[in-house]
Amino acid sequence: MRCAPLVATLALTLCSAAAAAAPPPAAMPAAAAPAAAGAHYRLDAANSSLEFTFLQAGARNTGRFPRFTVALDCQGADPQRLEVTVDVAALDTDDKDRDDTLRSADLFAVKKFPQATFSATHITRTAGGYDAVGGLTIRGVTRETHVPFSFRAAHEGGATVGYMTGRTVVRRLDFGVGQGDWKATDQAGNEVTVAFKLRLTAAD
Amino acid sequence: MTLRNTTRRWGAIAQLFHWLIVALILIQVWLALRADELTGMGKLRELAKHKSVGITILMLVILRLLWRSRNPHPPLPDNLKPYERSLARFTHGALYALLFAIPLSGWTMSSARGFPVSWFGFVQLPDLVPKNHTLYEWLVMTHVTLVCVLAVIVALHVLGALKHHFVHKDDVLKRMLPFTRT
Repeated sequence: MRCAPLVATLALTLCSAAAAAAPPPAAMPAAAAPAAAGAHYRLDAANSSLEFTFLQAGARNTGRFPRFTVALDCQGADPQRLEVTVDVAALDTDDKDRDDTLRSADLFAVKKFPQATFSATHITRTAGGYDAVGGLTIRGVTRETHVPFSFRAAHEGGATVGYMTGRTVVRRLDFGVGQGDWKATDQAGNEVTVAFKLRLTAAD
Repeated sequence: MTLRNTTRRWGAIAQLFHWLIVALILIQVWLALRADELTGMGKLRELAKHKSVGITILMLVILRLLWRSRNPHPPLPDNLKPYERSLARFTHGALYALLFAIPLSGWTMSSARGFPVSWFGFVQLPDLVPKNHTLYEWLVMTHVTLVCVLAVIVALHVLGALKHHFVHKDDVLKRMLPFTRT
């Protein structure tokens, strides 16, 4: 249930604060306007994964969001803007009954809230990479969320690609994912780890 | 009554294993039937208890056999006919085998479904097989079938005990009962 990316360790990194004033959330990749030394990346969906891990009846279980989009802009080597949109209804835990339960009104309510989004408002450098902070919206509820990640650009066969990995922990009940009986956390844990491994291709 | 078995009766530990497992099996059936009627969170909760109790039974059976191997067994009465002796040996062997096979089939079933087993939320047990839906469905059938076989064997076991007590008038039943003298 998490969307991917950015990070910002609060006070730590004011250095790139300027960058933080970055572009306002645009739901989708804006028409590429090749910045001086920047790159605009899009998701290589076939080589990327977005997973969520949760406790069910005391045991660890994992699911995937197979359909999502990512738009990442870099200024120089550093990510500046990150937008992620996840097709929640496509969730897959490899168990049809459970998937249907997760899509139902008491959990993700996918009919009403088909998408989850993450829109970073700041991305700052940290010791281990970057921290994106921004609004994570799930089931219509937006919460400020930190997403630490690593990013590295590479050149492969003449093309520029980016590798981005990270994880964050969300509490599902903060987003209302769990109404009625599902507010209880003894069988379906509140904390869900969202992890992503992305391969991005430069669009320009 | 002593903790250890004697050649005349089962000791307190052996009796505790026996009756505790009886109680847990009854709880298991009750939990399974309840889970069948529920959906969603309620079902998850009952099944989680069912799995935890099942693993408990499996552990108790292992301890029970270890204890049994280090203790004398009160022998069957001398006046039994050979077929009665064989039947007793068969039912006891089958009971032990089922007490392994039923929890193991349940554990394997959970693994095949992709829902790992946790023992009361304390420890997550390893998966015995990779996820496999066809295998899962087959194991559900196996688990239920084995429980039906257990019901038949338990019936034989109980009838045998009652026959000893009321027909043969020996102490085979009493020596597994607490608070009795033999």
